[in-house]
Amino acid sequence: MKDWFADIAAQFKLNFIDGNRWQWLAEGFKTTLIIAFFATVLGICIGVLIATIRSTYDKTGESLKKRGGAGVKIFGLADRICKLYLTVIRGTPMVVQLLIMYFIIFKSSTRGTLVAIISFGINSGAYVAEIFRGGIMSVDNGQFEAGRSLGFNYIQTMVYIVIPQMFKIVLPTLCNEFIVLLKETSVAGYVGIRDLTKAGDLIRGRTFSAFMPLIAVALIYLVVVVILTKLVGILERRLRKSDH
Amino acid sequence: MTTEKKALIKVDGLYKYFGSNHVLKGISAEIDAGEVVVVIGPSGSGKSTFLRCLNLLEEPTYGEVWLENKLVTPVDPYLHPDVIELSKTFQSLFAAEKAKNTGETDEEIKAALTAKIKAEDLLNEKHEGKAYKSLMKKIYSENYINVNLARQKIGMVFQQFNLFANLSIMDNITLAPVKLLKLSKQEAEERAKTLLERIGLADKAGAYPSQLSGGQKQRIAIVRALAMNPDVMLFDEPTSALDPEMVGEVLEVMKELAKEGMTMVVVTHEMGFAREVGTRVIFIDEGVIQEENTPEAFFTAPKSPRLRDFLSKVL
Repeated sequence: MKDWFADIAAQFKLNFIDGNRWQWLAEGFKTTLIIAFFATVLGICIGVLIATIRSTYDKTGESLKKRGGAGVKIFGLADRICKLYLTVIRGTPMVVQLLIMYFIIFKSSTRGTLVAIISFGINSGAYVAEIFRGGIMSVDNGQFEAGRSLGFNYIQTMVYIVIPQMFKIVLPTLCNEFIVLLKETSVAGYVGIRDLTKAGDLIRGRTFSAFMPLIAVALIYLVVVVILTKLVGILERRLRKSDH
Repeated sequence: MTTEKKALIKVDGLYKYFGSNHVLKGISAEIDAGEVVVVIGPSGSGKSTFLRCLNLLEEPTYGEVWLENKLVTPVDPYLHPDVIELSKTFQSLFAAEKAKNTGETDEEIKAALTAKIKAEDLLNEKHEGKAYKSLMKKIYSENYINVNLARQKIGMVFQQFNLFANLSIMDNITLAPVKLLKLSKQEAEERAKTLLERIGLADKAGAYPSQLSGGQKQRIAIVRALAMNPDVMLFDEPTSALDPEMVGEVLEVMKELAKEGMTMVVVTHEMGFAREVGTRVIFIDEGVIQEENTPEAFFTAPKSPRLRDFLSKVL
């Protein structure tokens, strides 16, 4: 038993203390958080834009078509581009997108983290767009009609009435999407970015002991995800409370 | 292009197609200030669609809606003989008829062609010339009213109430006056309070829609529309989604409104209301107005067999 403890302590020292290897994990964790956070921000921006185009076209496209003109053609084209984007992004694996971004599109770039943020942001944007669009569609059309019947234009109706209700519906789903994104950034190591997962793997390569670094990495992800999940739970309960 | 009679709402040749489903097939009507027009008819007859065309929640396929001598819908070329006569379609047909030399006068040919073009929907904006387009544009720009502005003057009450679920009762009522009529928050709230007191729901100002009964919701919905000071109120089966015991309270509010001289168009199945409050009753079936009359004559001496049949079932 004593040997076992001594062994564990030695392993711990070897993997984390010697050569200050714990700093690798800390650095990696920081990179992971940076990628996840900024990709989230980018994802929301793209998602809002796409969802706005798609749902506006769904709601008003028919009546615009009747009126004709160049505007509706541009609008229709934008809608089709959005659909193509959604199909491509949701139809291919994240790792492949990341590899293409890093080795083809941003071939000459040396800023791996930035490329990762853009890749993950573009990927996340597709899912966020569909979450938002689903949220807008699930708000009762009567709410929209009531807004219009009072004299609000399309944008006012969306801003004052539909979007606040949409947010309530999608907020928990949206938070879960970001938890998924955080875990998904673990593939960033594929293009040589030293994120949390890569840091653990580097330690393993240096010390030839897999157990300690990999379990440590897993635990860090787990703790962060559990904390975020708890926060989402609290948020959800709050929302339900204001839902009279 | 002004109408001689000053109708508050004028509907001309209204058609509404949902794909192959022809819901409205040519409805023309005028609603004067102070009238309470009750629209009745069997389910699926198009009466709700007719009402929703008045404030353009449904866009008519053909036809025009005028509010206080201002055009709410786009121009319908088939309603303007001068537009038809300017069209290339008309001119080529006219030339062909003339060439036949059947001995008809120009006027006769014109009348026949106009009718033919109307009936067969031959005008296609893409194929017509500049003169035709600019005339259409001219008629529109001289007469139109922005649809959002028109809707501010046309209050609407829905079957499903449609109170804004994310806002308190007070905010439901004050949102539009503050944002659209640019009233101060205080002013709007005072007006809302007065209105709420009138319907006896002043204590509900801070509540949310989901805390209210159906009857309360509908009375609030009426007040919300009234807060915009509309010139006319549309009611789309306001009591159909209510428990029977709550129908009375909503009808009571509507009766008061009518008494105060509000112009109203009411689609309903409440025959008692039609008879008691209505100044005119319209019977719509199969997309056309089958009969219209004063309530007395309408209910005691229906002319068309279709209406007699309908009344025998519902009364």
